[in-house]
Amino acid sequence: MTTAPPRVARDSSEEAILDPTASGRRPVIVADLYPAITREKRTLVELTWEQQRLHESRRWSAMELVGAVDLQRLSELDRHLVWNAGRAELTTKPGADRLERLADAECRKWQGRNDAVASILQACGTWSRYWNEEEAHHETSFNRLSQLLELEPISDATFIEYRKVFPDDDMLRTLTLLSISEIVAAVNYGNCARVIQEPGLKALFKQVGADEIQHMNYFIAFAKALVDSGEYKAKEAFAVAHLFLREGGEVHGSKREHVETRGTHVNWWDQVEYREGLYSPDALEKKEALIFNALKRITGMAVSSARQVEDTWMELVGC
Amino acid sequence: MFDIHEMETYIRGKFAEHVGLSETELFGEDLTLAALITRSARMTNSVDLMEAFARTSNGLRKDFGLRVRLPALSLDTPTSRVLEVFLQEAQAQQERGG
Repeated sequence: MTTAPPRVARDSSEEAILDPTASGRRPVIVADLYPAITREKRTLVELTWEQQRLHESRRWSAMELVGAVDLQRLSELDRHLVWNAGRAELTTKPGADRLERLADAECRKWQGRNDAVASILQACGTWSRYWNEEEAHHETSFNRLSQLLELEPISDATFIEYRKVFPDDDMLRTLTLLSISEIVAAVNYGNCARVIQEPGLKALFKQVGADEIQHMNYFIAFAKALVDSGEYKAKEAFAVAHLFLREGGEVHGSKREHVETRGTHVNWWDQVEYREGLYSPDALEKKEALIFNALKRITGMAVSSARQVEDTWMELVGC
Repeated sequence: MFDIHEMETYIRGKFAEHVGLSETELFGEDLTLAALITRSARMTNSVDLMEAFARTSNGLRKDFGLRVRLPALSLDTPTSRVLEVFLQEAQAQQERGG
């Protein structure tokens, strides 16, 4: 099963995507959300209809895709990739639950002070229902496969541990972190799909990778809208990018020299297990390039190296 | 060349200011970075901590002409070690000519 890649409208007026009469058009992610709300006076009913249309157009069946995998043909590497992916995906539900709660709380804070920002945040919190639902496909598909393959079981204790909720933070930092998390996941899944030979499993990894790209585009759109509003500072987006890209930063995941032990939550990238002699989907340069691109789209500021990210962030921070 | 004690006093003061704790609390008890985040009303997580380091570094650049970059420090690092790293980096910068 294949679905069309998500489209991103560079200009919300580019297509009459929010016009109910335009339901025959392909749904898109509204990339310029702030002007869509402030200049074009798009309402939340219109914006969420577009979200629904895109979600429906991209739906797929976990049962069908799992059923299409030929378990007998999977290699040791394939099995390892499935197991890691299943564990990692357990952390997404608490992320989506938190986003919904945080976005709604933040929305109410802005109501009456800046209603456009309140609408952006409500659009974001509302969209999290689709994110949560789509991530459920990923989590259950990989973990069901793990079970069918009789891989190391995920205990209920681990399951519950991985459901711990990330502590609250500034909304722009949160959205940037989620954008980067989706970038890292999408690159990993894309690379997994390239090395997997069995067609059913390859298709599953490709599908999940495409979903993550779509999620990244949504997070970038919401983050950009917050920056465009003038109420959130670009330095917060750069701070999170620096956290990932600095020497020994989060982009190196569990391969970095020191991984913090936290009681508060589980970062999936800290928990990926690498095995001697087995391929691991690092592709750091590709991840970095996508992070630079995300920063450009969110803040309008162009950077092309980790050093430039740091320098720009330091400038924005000031004394 | 700047006096090392002058620089140490400066870093202590600026870092305490940006963290939002007194110098005595911060360095007297030699708090770890994790404890510092918990105790400071201004800090939520590692990103806030990074920002406090960055502001201190930017101050050093403005007032001493030194560009200090700190490595990623784990949350169990005590503030005495942070101060040490700051000074080492600042001295190295100074020796390289700022």
